[in-house]
Amino acid sequence: MEALLFNVSGGFLEGIVRGYKAGLLTQNQYNNLTQCETIEDFRTQLSATDYGNFLANEPLPISTSTISDKATQLLVDQFNYLRSNAVEPLSKFLEYMTYAYMIDNVILIITGTLHGRNTSELLQRCHPLGIFDTMPALCVATNVEELYHTVLVETPLAPYFRDAVSAADLDDLNIEIIRNTLYKAYLEDFDAFCQSLGGPTADVMHRILAFEADRRAINITINSFGTQLSKEQRAKLFPTIGRLFPEGNNTLARADEIDQVRQACEAVSEYRAFFDSGGRSHANGNGGANGNSESTANLLGDLDSELGAAADLEDRFFVHEVHLNKLAFLQQFQHAVFYSYIKLKEQEIRSVTWIAECIAQNARDRIHDFIPTF
Amino acid sequence: MGDDYPTLFRSEQMSLVQLIVPTEVAHDTIAELGELGNVQFKDLNPDVNPFQRSYVGEIRRVDEMARRVRFFASQLEKEKEPIPVRPLYDSAPLVTVGPRAAQTIDELDVKLAEHESRLTQMNESYQLLSERLRELVEARHVLRETAQFFDQAAVRETGEVRASLDDSSAPLLQHDDREQQYSSGELQFDLEFVAGTIDRARLSTFERVLWRVLRGNLYMNYIDIQEPFVDPATGAETRKNVFIIFAHGDILLGKIRKVAESMGATIYPIDVNADKRADSMREVTGRLEDLQIVLYNTGANRRTELMTIGENIASWEDVVGKEKLIYETLNLLNYDARRKTLVAEGWCPTRDIPQIQLALRHATEESGTNVPPILHELRTNRTPPTFHRTNKFTEGFQTIMDAYGVATYEEVNPGLFAVITFPFLFAVMFGDIGHGFIIFISAALMILFERKLAKADLGEIFGTFFFGRYIILLMGVFSIYTGFLYNDIFSKSLHLFHSGWEFPEAHGNDTLVGFANGHTYPFGIDPAWHGAENGLLFTNSYKMKMSIVLGVIHMTFAVCLQVPNHIRFRRFSDIWTNFIPQMVFLQSIFGYLVVCIIYKWTVDWSQASTQPPSLLNMLIGMVLSPGSVDPDSQLYPGQATVQVILLLMAGVCVPWLLISKPYLQYQEMKKIQGQGYIGLGADDVPRHTDDTTLEGEEEGNGQAIVEANDEEHEQHDFSEVVVHQVIHTIEFCLGCVSHTASYLRLWALSLAHAQLSEVLWDMTLANVLGMPGVVGIIALAFVGVMWLVLTISILCVMELEGEPVVPVVEPVPTADPPHAGPPDIEVE
Repeated sequence: MEALLFNVSGGFLEGIVRGYKAGLLTQNQYNNLTQCETIEDFRTQLSATDYGNFLANEPLPISTSTISDKATQLLVDQFNYLRSNAVEPLSKFLEYMTYAYMIDNVILIITGTLHGRNTSELLQRCHPLGIFDTMPALCVATNVEELYHTVLVETPLAPYFRDAVSAADLDDLNIEIIRNTLYKAYLEDFDAFCQSLGGPTADVMHRILAFEADRRAINITINSFGTQLSKEQRAKLFPTIGRLFPEGNNTLARADEIDQVRQACEAVSEYRAFFDSGGRSHANGNGGANGNSESTANLLGDLDSELGAAADLEDRFFVHEVHLNKLAFLQQFQHAVFYSYIKLKEQEIRSVTWIAECIAQNARDRIHDFIPTF
Repeated sequence: MGDDYPTLFRSEQMSLVQLIVPTEVAHDTIAELGELGNVQFKDLNPDVNPFQRSYVGEIRRVDEMARRVRFFASQLEKEKEPIPVRPLYDSAPLVTVGPRAAQTIDELDVKLAEHESRLTQMNESYQLLSERLRELVEARHVLRETAQFFDQAAVRETGEVRASLDDSSAPLLQHDDREQQYSSGELQFDLEFVAGTIDRARLSTFERVLWRVLRGNLYMNYIDIQEPFVDPATGAETRKNVFIIFAHGDILLGKIRKVAESMGATIYPIDVNADKRADSMREVTGRLEDLQIVLYNTGANRRTELMTIGENIASWEDVVGKEKLIYETLNLLNYDARRKTLVAEGWCPTRDIPQIQLALRHATEESGTNVPPILHELRTNRTPPTFHRTNKFTEGFQTIMDAYGVATYEEVNPGLFAVITFPFLFAVMFGDIGHGFIIFISAALMILFERKLAKADLGEIFGTFFFGRYIILLMGVFSIYTGFLYNDIFSKSLHLFHSGWEFPEAHGNDTLVGFANGHTYPFGIDPAWHGAENGLLFTNSYKMKMSIVLGVIHMTFAVCLQVPNHIRFRRFSDIWTNFIPQMVFLQSIFGYLVVCIIYKWTVDWSQASTQPPSLLNMLIGMVLSPGSVDPDSQLYPGQATVQVILLLMAGVCVPWLLISKPYLQYQEMKKIQGQGYIGLGADDVPRHTDDTTLEGEEEGNGQAIVEANDEEHEQHDFSEVVVHQVIHTIEFCLGCVSHTASYLRLWALSLAHAQLSEVLWDMTLANVLGMPGVVGIIALAFVGVMWLVLTISILCVMELEGEPVVPVVEPVPTADPPHAGPPDIEVE
């Protein structure tokens, strides 16, 4: 049925998005990029790719954050183009995609405000895809209740938040709980939406979202070691759509150390590989301390700054995510390509920024640690 | 060959040349050759990354300069009042060759950097001042609007207070006291407030959020600011509102301030006291005036700066663009570090080599050194690129042909014949003296004002017309000619000669039947057919047959075009294996049809014993039921036999075409193998011994650096030959049928054109021509204009845009054989 009717409304945009996908950097182009000596070279090299001369009008010297910003801007422009041309149900699908960024932005602002950061600086750091009208007002809120009633009540996040609302004060732990509860609700809702679309969209998206859910569950578990998060609370944060659910989730909820996490993942053959060598070093390393700092690293959207095993695991997750997203392009007449494209492009921007950063800081030995997309 | 006048018949003879350029003169040499524009450089370092090449540094520097120039251009564009930009041909040229070249570029670089820093500085200060000005303006608005608000409130409140005081039993003295208090302190509000400005688009969100944050405990008032605020940097307009919010308590006010700030609002401290408000109003106005003067001066300064930039920007742009291209070309060259020379390889027309030599010498002189670049020809077995030397007349035609495919080196170029066939086939469809004349005049005007128009920027649509002005001119001429043939001028007919038909006097409404009066109309269609009831039938059949005749002639001609190729490339066997069977096939079916058409025209069917046969059915019958012809519709006696013979001939041609060539190839291959030779891969052949290398270099006959490795060596497999020939055969046989059918489009479009113009005439002018009196004249004038506009816009412009596409479809497939012939196959 999709083959018959999909192209009526989605064909054009699928064509566009596949065209965008063809513009993703290839392995060869990554190799060329890693050979660059200076950011100047880097710009010359990028101008030969689909990025074109997006940096041509920047005065020298170019900072890596400019590269990242400009690249993100390109992505946002593409997304907005897709979104403004989309009709139901694709428009709804794309809408759903922005919720994740909204959650991140909300958490970013709350945390920032809590730590006394400047509001306008925080607003600048928000992901442009997750910006909504009343977002700036978030900084007024001082407790969860207020947060919900002043701002979030009119955003699409409101239904997710309703479950998370408890009269608790805002502190780092609670914010993490809120974030994870929101994410859990969001993932489940998104998955339900995709299932309602049916067809290949449901299949492919379920695969991707299930992995996302499992990843979050594992991350939550690892990060909660050594914090005052109780095991019951932890169990509540696990999304229920992953491949680990329900058995693995239960094991995770009871886990006290990294080995138990690995045991929980044994059931899924793909996940077993994540812990093969990375898990070892992590197990005898600094479990709890790493967890905390990693969550802050996550918080600030700076995933590459952390060294060590957790980052290693994170990298493996990314690799697997890229793999799943690539698989999405093997099926036609479905919406998952839009999701996958945006995710791949994000990964590409992260990789490009990583390379640029390595060049700028002259850390050539680590330049190959990026995650290639195609 | 080199002395011949350049012809379009074949592409120019090309030579692979090698240039050995000393590094000192490399830049100037490339600049000189670039101006000449007839060398195609080859990339001699294909394995080197773009950023590892020799001249990356220079390119980067030029890029930076280009960025600055672009920045200036965008600044010039943003300026509201346009700043005059001196056009390139008017500005003094910047000399970037010769001994002072490096200095010129350095100076330019510095100059650009200076201008940029000055401009950015000015922009910054201008922006800063504008920002401050905006704030002050906003403050003034806030003051004014809040004052108004307070005034209203004061009036209301005093009224109320007085009313309450009147019937109070307070003592008089106390009352006075209070009065005094009012007069001195005006009003004492219990409520505290926040006032400021906010973007209008955000106002509703702001209000909503506030309402929720304060749980409704607020009173908010807002007023639109009439004039928009313009951002000096981007020129974007924003509209703002003044708001004033009353709330009670410090916490609430703090919250309001926080929300307001996070929503991008600006808050201005406003005093409750009216006097103080008036003071600050005065102060703001005063500062505003000062600031405006400063701002005006800054703006004027900036404008003068931009003016100086505008003087030169065109030449800067030119120089920077050229420099970039020069360095990019230099990057293609191979650098010989040992001898401090650059080695270039490229293709150029053999005829132009003296010219290039001259340019090289000139470049050496210019740069002031005495080491000239050396040029010599290389021998190569590679196929040179195709180069057609065009002029402004043939350029348009050649471009159309190239859009469909470029002939191989030295093959016959269909572009030459398209100069006539293209406009003629167009004219067959467009035949109308009037319309043809209009487009002829417009093309003639474009050619007349060629120089002026070439300089102007014409825009996409008109630019296309201008580019094809000579095509349009010929189209116009031929349309006038075919218009005479069709006897059609704006859908009316001309009565130039004595008509061959006469009509009896009209009696009532009967249909009149014309009778021949013995005259023959000497040229074109007899005007008597115009308006006749069966006129359409006649022109229909006439145009249909004509388009078939023209089509078959055109295809025959195109098939013939391969003969010069075969002779040129000494593939004489191809004449027997390709050309002859193709010709026989085409002529025995479609050539026969054409002969029948012409024969049928010559027969007077009113006197003939049989009915006029339908030629279409005849052709179908010839193929489907060979050997039997219905005697009632027989065209000539013995038709059946002739047709069977022709069909057999065509039938024989197919296997002939299919088999003969591969067979010959096979024979030749066997012969060679029989002699004991084995085909060697080109790469395995030792190209030259060491001795010859040395000798060659001494004599200046260097070898090409990049040898033929990159050229795909076709594996001369026998199977490939067979497959190719099969495809070729099928393509040709099907092509004959489908192309003949395609030529019917000439008929269809010609008919459509004629009918459209007739409808246009009948619907507009024909209605008003007979009207008497003043009304008639007015209506005639009005409708006449309308008719003319519609004629020009629909029939001339729209069809001109649309129709070229149609005839182009025809010449190309038929012109295909000359260059779609099998690639020359050599057996080693």
